[in-house]
Amino acid sequence: MSSQKHNIRPKASTMGGGSKLGYFLSRALQNLRSNRMVTILTVSTITIAILIISLFMLMYVNLEGTIEQWSRKVVVTVYFDKEPAPQDLMSLKGRITSLSGTESITTVSKEEALKRFRSRLKGQESLLEGVSPDILPSSIEITLKKEFRSTDAVNIYVARLKKLQGVGEVQYGEEWVRKFMLFFQFVRILGALIALFLVLSVVFIVSNTIRLTIFARKDELEILALVGATPFFIKAPFLIEGMLQGAVGSLLAVSLLSAGYFTILSNAGNFLTFNPADAGLVFLPASYIAALVSGGVLIGFIGSLASLKKFITI
Amino acid sequence: MIELHNVTVRYQTDAPALSSVSITIPKGDFVFLTGSSGAGKSTLLKLVYGAVQPVYGHVVVDGQNVTRMSRRQIPFLRRNIGVVFQDFKLLQNRSVFDNVAITLEVLGWEHNDIKKKVFHTLKRLGIEHKLDVPPIRLSGGEQQRVALARALVNEPRILLADEPTGNLDENNKDQILQIFKEANLRGTTVLIASHDRRVIHSGHHRVVHLEKGVLQESGNVQSKA
Repeated sequence: MSSQKHNIRPKASTMGGGSKLGYFLSRALQNLRSNRMVTILTVSTITIAILIISLFMLMYVNLEGTIEQWSRKVVVTVYFDKEPAPQDLMSLKGRITSLSGTESITTVSKEEALKRFRSRLKGQESLLEGVSPDILPSSIEITLKKEFRSTDAVNIYVARLKKLQGVGEVQYGEEWVRKFMLFFQFVRILGALIALFLVLSVVFIVSNTIRLTIFARKDELEILALVGATPFFIKAPFLIEGMLQGAVGSLLAVSLLSAGYFTILSNAGNFLTFNPADAGLVFLPASYIAALVSGGVLIGFIGSLASLKKFITI
Repeated sequence: MIELHNVTVRYQTDAPALSSVSITIPKGDFVFLTGSSGAGKSTLLKLVYGAVQPVYGHVVVDGQNVTRMSRRQIPFLRRNIGVVFQDFKLLQNRSVFDNVAITLEVLGWEHNDIKKKVFHTLKRLGIEHKLDVPPIRLSGGEQQRVALARALVNEPRILLADEPTGNLDENNKDQILQIFKEANLRGTTVLIASHDRRVIHSGHHRVVHLEKGVLQESGNVQSKA
C-alpha cells in the first residue's frame, strides 16, 4: 500500500514556464515584503549610488555642452587683399560652403571690420578718427563642423581651403585651437577616469550590500537546497528581487535628480555668478536616464548572482 | 535501500570523519545511529543526502550511486529524502504553512493541492491549528513537529534525523519519536542519529554505533519499555 502511495507522488515540477515565472515573481514580492528592513537598506544604497553617478553624468553632460559651445570659437578667416566682385564673392562662398567640414560662413565687409575694431578699442575710439574702412581687408569667417575642430582636422581643412581659387591669406589661431583641444582631451580623460572609479565603487558597495542581505537569509537557501530545490529554483526569486530593488533604487535616484534639477539647478543661471552654458544647465537626455535605470537593474542582478554563487553549494 | 561501501570521508587535513564504513540499511528499516560527539553520525547522514562526498568508497541510495551524481542530480535525490535537525531549521519570518509548503512548491505542486496536503500533514502531526503562526511563537516540540511536517509532507522514501530530540523535554521526545514510528509504518526508511539512550531504547530497533569515524557494531536493541 505504501509503495503505491510513493508512486503517485509528483516528484517533478508540473508547472509551465509562465506559471513558474509567476511563482518566482510572487515569491520575490513576498520576500521583499517579509524582509522589509533589508529591502529598504538595499534600495536606499542603490538609490544613493545611482544618484551619485547621475549627478556626475549631469555635470559631465553640461561640461561637454559648454566645451562644445566654446569649440564654436574655432573660426577660420579668409582675408581678401582687394574687394572681390560680387559674383566672384558669391562663387567663392559657394565653393567654401561645399567644402567638407564647413558648417556656416559669414561675410565681413570692410565697414563691419572697422566697426568691430572700434568696439575693441572701447574708450580709445578717438585713435580711429579719420580712418577709412579701406585700410582693413574684408573677409569670410568660416565655422567648422564639430568633427573638424581638432588641431589636425583644422590643418587639413585649411590646406584644402587654400587650394581654392580666390582665397588669399587664411588665419585660424593655431595656438588657441591646440591649447583648447588639449584641454578638451584632458577633460574627457579625467571624466572617463572619474566615471570608471564611480562605477566600480558603486558596483562594489551595492554588491556587498546585497551579499550581506543574502547572508542574512542563508538559512532559506540551505532549507531550499535541503528539500530538493534546483539551483535555478533557489536563485530565481533572489535574482528577481535584486532586479526589482535595482529598478526601484534607480527610479528613485532619477526622480530625486529630476526634483533637484527642476527646483534648483534649472535656474542656476539666475544665482550663479558663473554660468558655464549660455542656455543654462540642461537635464540628462532620455538615453542617459534609460542607461541609469538599466544600470540599476543590472547592478541588482549581478550583485545577487555573484552573492548567490558564494552561498549555494549544492 | 541505503548502502555505504567502504566509505571514507575526510574534511581538509584532519583525521577522517568516517573511515572505511560499510553498512546496508534495507528499505523500510528503522535504524538508530549512535556514538559520541564527533563520531561521524552527522557526516553519515550528509552522505545519504549528498551534502558530503567521500574521498573513497561508494554511497548507493535507492539503487542510485550518489558518489557519481552530478550537482544537477542531487536536488532530485533529495526530493525522496526528508531531513530533520536538532535546531529545526525553520524560517522564522514565515508562517508554519509556508515552512511546510516549501517542499511542495519545489516540486511544482499547484497552490490548492499544496493547501490541502499541508493541512492534512499538519493535522496528522496535531498542529493544524498553528497554520498561520510564525515558528518563533511555537514551543520546541511544536517547532520540531513543523520540521517533521516539512520533511514528511511529500511522503519521502527515506527520513533522516540528526539529534531530533536534543532540544526537547521527555514528553515531547516521546511524541516526536511516535511520529517517526508512524512514518516507518507507512513504509519510510528511518535513520536517526542520536546519543539519547532513552530514545534509542524506546523500541526494538537496529542500532549502528560509530566511534571516531569507525563502525563499531551493528545490532538490534530491545525496548526497555
